[in-house]
Formats: sequence, structure tokens, C-alpha cells
Amino acid sequence: MSGFDGFNTEFYQTSYSIEDQAQPYDYSGRQYSKHYGGYEYPQQGGFVPPDMMQQQPYTGQIYQPTQTYTPASAQSFYGSNFEDEPPLLEELGINFDHIWQKTLTVLHPLKVADGSIMNETDLAGPMVFCLAFGATLLLAGKIQFGYVYGISAIGCVGMFCLLNLMSVTGVSFGCVASVLGYCLLPMILLSSFAIVFSLQGMMGIILTAGIIGWCSFSASKIFISALAMDGQQLLVAYPCALLYGVFALISVF
Amino acid sequence: MWQVGKRQASRAFSLYANIDILRPYFDVEPVQVRARLLESMIPVKMINFPQKIAGELYGPLMLVFTLVAILLHGMKTSDTVIREGTLMGTAIGTCFGYWLGVSSFMYFLAYLCNAQITMVQMLSLLGYGLFGHCITLFVTYNIHFHSLFYIFWLVVGGLSTLRMVAVLISRTVGHTQRLILCGTLAALHMLFLLYLHFAYHKVVEGILDAFEGPNMPPFQRVARDIPVVSNAVLNTTAKAIALTL
Repeated sequence: MSGFDGFNTEFYQTSYSIEDQAQPYDYSGRQYSKHYGGYEYPQQGGFVPPDMMQQQPYTGQIYQPTQTYTPASAQSFYGSNFEDEPPLLEELGINFDHIWQKTLTVLHPLKVADGSIMNETDLAGPMVFCLAFGATLLLAGKIQFGYVYGISAIGCVGMFCLLNLMSVTGVSFGCVASVLGYCLLPMILLSSFAIVFSLQGMMGIILTAGIIGWCSFSASKIFISALAMDGQQLLVAYPCALLYGVFALISVF
Repeated sequence: MWQVGKRQASRAFSLYANIDILRPYFDVEPVQVRARLLESMIPVKMINFPQKIAGELYGPLMLVFTLVAILLHGMKTSDTVIREGTLMGTAIGTCFGYWLGVSSFMYFLAYLCNAQITMVQMLSLLGYGLFGHCITLFVTYNIHFHSLFYIFWLVVGGLSTLRMVAVLISRTVGHTQRLILCGTLAALHMLFLLYLHFAYHKVVEGILDAFEGPNMPPFQRVARDIPVVSNAVLNTTAKAIALTL
């Protein structure tokens, strides 16, 4: 399952390369470039040590730590040398800049989403958001990490089945989990609000409804653009709204 | 090794869990879903000609999940305590149990009574019939007024039941068969709504009046003393005092 021609069931998983991160996000729906040559990191700073760049063309894939295929050459990059090893975050596939970019996408509900931004199955960001949600609930006196974990797991499985049934191209579980995890961010705002104020009045109901709408709108927008399901945004948004409604129920009560 | 494991798992998954057979039932447009939701409340007049039932599963599935969410909300607002189980499990079990169980039972009865309906159509019909239940419960879990509930039960619940009954009558031949099928469906559907209202949203009126918290419902109620609760409190206090002495 080499996947470099792009059409497999794991949508966009393996063709997103490290060199694309050197270019800033401009949401213009740029095509992928498939060549893996030398490249600079103007704004990445110390993310990759410069001496590494001069030694060998690094063509490993930062976002797929378990990806063992290398595109063109059969060189082994994680050699036995200590200096040849990539930094830990890179090896784990955690790129804070990308996490931040995707967070901004979720937070601007009216911004048009680029379908390619959710290609890699990045679960570091969603993990952080789930933990932050549990932490804000903890601050409100509700020790419900288990509920958050269970509901997010079952919700991801349910959305995965539904989206696979509704879309022409399939979708991978990692992509669904990643999108749903990122769109949990406004719910963290709700639960942090619940630390200080009670959400059980009319104001709380309106705020809760607004936040649920925001989360489900962002999630459906990203799913629609990633799966090219035109005209079905409401059909995708409604199950997302039900899932985020259950999270809201935990926050409110 | 990861790749080999992944390949084997995906092969097993595609063999045993082939959900692609359900794919045609989820191919809908939002306009169609909206139209079918509204139609589910309008009883058809023409019962001599078999009425068309859309064999679609997206709308019914979403309605069942909506009912689960409404039940959860109702249980949380009334602080219902489920002793053996969880709130979520109870809600999901009740709603899905009703949808799948009653659909199967009605399909079996339809088979006995020679009605022309497939299993998917029965699931779809009953699922869309839950739209009336969703509306009724959403309104009456938030506005606690018994007579309002009875009005909604008769009108909204009755309309959706009449719709299902009319469609079934149009697809069944023979008076006895029609009576059996439609009587069973009407009874089960209406009684389910009654059950959902009374079992999942216990409002103990005297205690709510005593506390007067921020959840005070808008309608005034006469304060009543609940002898069971006050006796229990008295007994527990007496026991505690006796133990310390």
C-alpha cells in the first residue's frame, strides 16, 4: 500500500511531505508537489538542526512516525549515529506550527477550509484538547476524564461509520478522530466558562447552543471540504451537533 | 510488522464488517430529509392504493439519536438517578431497543398478516414516527405541565401514529389483518411516549418548591409534603443520633 499516487482509502495519508510545511498556509488549494529535493526552512527556526540539512537530503515524513516507506531513495535516515537521529518531536510527529494552524482554522468558523489541511492523521493536537477539556471540567469539580474518553471514542467510531457510508471516497479513522478532536476547542471555552458561572440559566442555554453550533459547523465544514460532499453540510453537521451536545451536557450538568 | 498487522486487520475488517451493504440507504439530500420529516406528521387519506415508503436509514437513525439526547437532557434536568447502569446506557438502550425491537416485531406481524413491507421500510417508517415523540418530549421536558403533555400526546403523537397506521393499512389486505397490525402499532407507539414521559423525568414537586433553586420552573405549583421522603429523613436522623449515643 504505497499510497503515493493518492487514491487509497486512507485519504491523503502518505502524500503529505515535510517540504510542504516550509510554505506558509494560504488556503488557496495548492496542488501537492511530489519531488523531494533539498529545501530551506525559513521560519522553522531551530525545528530541524541546520547541520542535518547539509549532511543529507532529509526525505522522511514528519507526520507519519510509523511510515516506513521512503519515496525515491532507499537510504536509511535513522542511522546508528546519534547525530543522525531526528529531534524527538519530529520523530513523534508533533509539529506545533501545524497544530496552531489547524487550531486557527477551527476558531474562524466563517473561513473557508482547505481540504488538504486535515490530511495527516495528527492526534497530538486532539489529545491536548481532550486533556484540556478534562482539566477544565476538573477545575469545575467534575472528575469525568473517563466520560470524555468514552464519549469521544464512541463518537469517533460512529462518525467514521456514518461518513464512510455517506461519502463516495472513504475516510480514514485517524482523519475523523483528528477533525473531531480539533473541533472540540470551543467546547473547552464553554467548560472554562462553567468554572466561574453556572450554565443552567437562560444565558447558559444560549451560550451552550451557540458553542455546539460553532463546533459542529467547523467540523462539518472541514469534513465537507476534505470529502468533497457538496450540499450535504447540514447532514454532516447534525450528527456532529449531537456528539458535541453530549459533551456540552457533561459541561453543564 | 506494523504494516503487516494493519493489512491483516483491514482484511478481517472488510470481510466481517462490510458496512457497504448499507451505503444506498444513506444516500440522501437535506431537502429530502426535511420533506420526509414533515410528511411523517401528515396522515395520508388514500388508503386503497399502496403508499410509497422511502427505504432510507439516515433520517430514522438521526431521530433515534436525537431522542437519546432529549432523554439524557430530561434525565439530567430532573436529576434522575439510575441505580443499576448509566444514564447514557439506559437512554441508548431504550431508544434503540424500541426502534429495532418494535420494528422487528411489526415486521414479523406484517409477515403473518401478509402486509407488503420490507424490513428497511418498517425501520424507516417507525424511525420517522419518532419525530412526533422527539417534539413532544422536547417541549414537555422543559415545560412541566401535565395537561400540556396530554394535549401533545394526543395531537402530535396521534398524528404520527395515524400516518404510520394509514400507510400500513394501504399495504395490507383484509380487515382482521389490518386491525391486528395497526392496533398493535398504535398501542405500542402511544404507550411508548407515555412511558418516556413518566419514567425519565420524575419531577418531585414538593421538593422542588422547597429548594427554589435557579431551575425553578415558570409555573407555580402547590407545595406538598412527601411523607415517604420526610419519614426517611426522620428515620435516618434518629438512627444517626442513636448510633452516636
